[in-house]
Amino acid sequence: MGNKQTVFTHEQLEAYQDCTFFTRKEIMRLFYRYQDLAPQLVPLDYTTCPDVKVPYELIGSMPELKDNPFRQRIAQVFSEDGDGHMTLDNFLDMFSVMSEMAPRDLKAYYAFKIYDFNDDDYICAWDLEQTVTKLTRGELSAEEVSLVCEKVLDEADGDHDGRLSLEDFRNMILRAPDFLSTFHIRI
Amino acid sequence: MLSDDHVNEIIIEKLIASLIPMTSRDRIKAIRNQPRTMEEKRNLSRGGLTSVTENEGRAKAHLTWLWKIVDKEKSKQTHRILQLNCCVQCLNSISRAYRRSKNSLSEILNSISLWQKTLKIIGGKFGTSVLSYFNFLRWLLKFNIFSFIVNFSFIIIPQFTVAEKNTLQFTGLELFTGVGYFRDTVMYYGFYTNSTIQHGNSGASYNMQLAYIFTIGACLTTCFFSLLFSMAKYFRDNFINPHIYSGGITKLIFCWDFTVTHEKAVKLKQKNLSTEIRENLSELRQENAKLTFNQQLTRFSTYVMAWVVSTGVTIACCAAVYYLAEYNLEFLKTHSNPGAVLLLPFVVSCINLAVPCFYSMFRLVERYEMPRHEVYILLIRNILLKISIVGILCYYWLNNVALSGEECWETLIGQDIYRLLLMDFVFSLADSFLGEFLRRIIGMQLITSLGLPEFDIARNVLELIYAQTLVWIGIFFCPLLPLFQMIMLFIMFYAKNISLMMNFQPPSKAWRASQMMTFFILLLFFPSFTGVLCTLAITIWRLKPSADCGPFRGLPFFIHSIYSWIDTLSTRPGYLWVVWIYRNLIGSVPFFPSILHVLIITYLYWQITEGRKIMIRLLHEQIINEGKDKMFLIEKLIKLQDMEKKANPSSLVLERREVEQQDALHLGERDSSLDLRFRRSVQEGNPRA
Repeated sequence: MGNKQTVFTHEQLEAYQDCTFFTRKEIMRLFYRYQDLAPQLVPLDYTTCPDVKVPYELIGSMPELKDNPFRQRIAQVFSEDGDGHMTLDNFLDMFSVMSEMAPRDLKAYYAFKIYDFNDDDYICAWDLEQTVTKLTRGELSAEEVSLVCEKVLDEADGDHDGRLSLEDFRNMILRAPDFLSTFHIRI
Repeated sequence: MLSDDHVNEIIIEKLIASLIPMTSRDRIKAIRNQPRTMEEKRNLSRGGLTSVTENEGRAKAHLTWLWKIVDKEKSKQTHRILQLNCCVQCLNSISRAYRRSKNSLSEILNSISLWQKTLKIIGGKFGTSVLSYFNFLRWLLKFNIFSFIVNFSFIIIPQFTVAEKNTLQFTGLELFTGVGYFRDTVMYYGFYTNSTIQHGNSGASYNMQLAYIFTIGACLTTCFFSLLFSMAKYFRDNFINPHIYSGGITKLIFCWDFTVTHEKAVKLKQKNLSTEIRENLSELRQENAKLTFNQQLTRFSTYVMAWVVSTGVTIACCAAVYYLAEYNLEFLKTHSNPGAVLLLPFVVSCINLAVPCFYSMFRLVERYEMPRHEVYILLIRNILLKISIVGILCYYWLNNVALSGEECWETLIGQDIYRLLLMDFVFSLADSFLGEFLRRIIGMQLITSLGLPEFDIARNVLELIYAQTLVWIGIFFCPLLPLFQMIMLFIMFYAKNISLMMNFQPPSKAWRASQMMTFFILLLFFPSFTGVLCTLAITIWRLKPSADCGPFRGLPFFIHSIYSWIDTLSTRPGYLWVVWIYRNLIGSVPFFPSILHVLIITYLYWQITEGRKIMIRLLHEQIINEGKDKMFLIEKLIKLQDMEKKANPSSLVLERREVEQQDALHLGERDSSLDLRFRRSVQEGNPRA
């Protein structure tokens, strides 16, 4: 594998390899995907660590994300300021966590943050309602949605405080072995 | 007042402190698993802080160290302790080189990974469950590629160098029947020489007998260990304690399939999810109607009847196959119609196609409380059918063909297996292209209420397992079989893919992909692979090789090749250790198999225990967190009460100073939620030791 690329310095690439689950080749491929989103905005030379953010509208139009009901939340969780505009670091981080090599705990942590719509570190009933609405796209009536939220809190709320904490969420994930394979975006 | 940055700093200090005693490999793994931003992780891996706020007047220099220096210090300490400096440095450099080579190897393997784009499209349109079938197919392909490469290098190429000229005629029919021209090629056991190949006067000699048995043994042993490790990994990842299994609506909500990326597929999935949620809700609202005794009796008797009928059908099919096979042997002795050999494979494939359809019609009669049970029962019946058929064929081969006195019976068995495999492949292709196409026409045009069919994952995976079992049995009698299976799997992938895109719709119900995959791999291991091992063990230990063909001609048993090799080795002084290992470890009958069984079972239980340990640890952490939160809240309550009592501005200054002197873990005057969150993130942030 020759060092023919001029985008990153050797140290930068090593650091990316150490901090994500990707190999060199995959990191370069992801960089070119990122660059393709906004060719005028993203420079081809990252050795000077430019401060470039691709706006959310372009991220959300990626084929891997454009039909995902949670695309906005995913971009918000992984972006620096929580507004959905992502730097290259955020971009790599996002796909690293969503890759199949990430461990269950890491995925559970980020899944929790994605479903926590109001960012208060708990999934409360309102968060659940938002989740269910996004998942079913208006197919269920309001009564059914609230019934579902009640049922979920019943099943998963371990400390009975009316909302799901990260521990409750993780305990629930432990009982769902499919989570690892479904919380996965292939790029 | 402790600022946000200060709190973060303390957390990172704790984190770095916990990272110091780790090896560099574990450290990188721990940093990667941190739920932090890329910049923080990058700084951690260098050993520094995220940001140094100018307002804080503390010296941060003592924290900005490089991990290299840490490692050097550690190795110096170990040098002082162990006084083995060269060993420690050697170990360090070896581990670094190992890590680098592992990285580059994984890069190479990823670059030659097959069908990445196609799998992405399938996952995008149909979701993870259908994807699991194609992943399984790809995984089986790897076994066959490996077996073929090993066979090719160690027995086929040497045989080519001493191949005799093939005098038989080649007509096109041989491709299907495997007889005729192919009998005298490297395809079958009978062609291989039993001599020791030697080229030139002083060249190394190559003992074909030993090569044959060791190559096949090596293939199967590698497959065995690979299967064992995959099975253990799946057990560990997917192990659920059945007692804590819950209703499942939470899983429906939180396990949305992120791999589905196609617009129509997503819409359909949302619709299906709504339907499933409604069903789930209505199940909860409904009272479980108690059945009367009569109804229970009727239901029980229907189950019994269904099982009796299905078992009867299985036994009837097995008997039919057995008698047909026997009759075929007689028939072929007297008549010489070349196409007649295809009758047995044809009948077996028809049984494999028709009887599962018959079983699925039982659904109209039997009523199960949960639709999941229906799927499992159907699966078990199909498995029993396939196992019985393979079993009866093995019995026929080992009992009748091997002892029939035919010349070169091993080649005959090889040809039988080749024909079975080929016919099965042809039927699968026909099913994919014609059968499913017809089903789509019926569903869309004639009986529109049926709609497009859904991909039957279980049935297709069983087909793959059946074919792979045949390949493993046949590898001894027909060393080229992995090559054929490779080609067939390759073609099958594309055929199934095209048929999937054209004829099927995405699954409507959640299919527990990981649990089912664990079950299928378990099935592949036991009974499939262990059955193969038993068959081969019986062949090698009990059967007499044919007298005029193959690498073991003239020996009383196949195993005598090993015996005579051990005997020759024991005359040479340099190899006595091999003889000792053989005689005392492998040779002693009760010792070796029992030890093997114990080891395997221990390994599996160990993996299951690992899975349970993770659960226990998480629950333990939760208990600790609850205790700490309680203590913290009580302290805060007391402080607030004190503050209210005093209501004096000067005392607030005292409070601040007291707080700053506290232990870092009791994160002082902040919003309780912020502190709870940070404390929780300290617990998560601490890498698993």
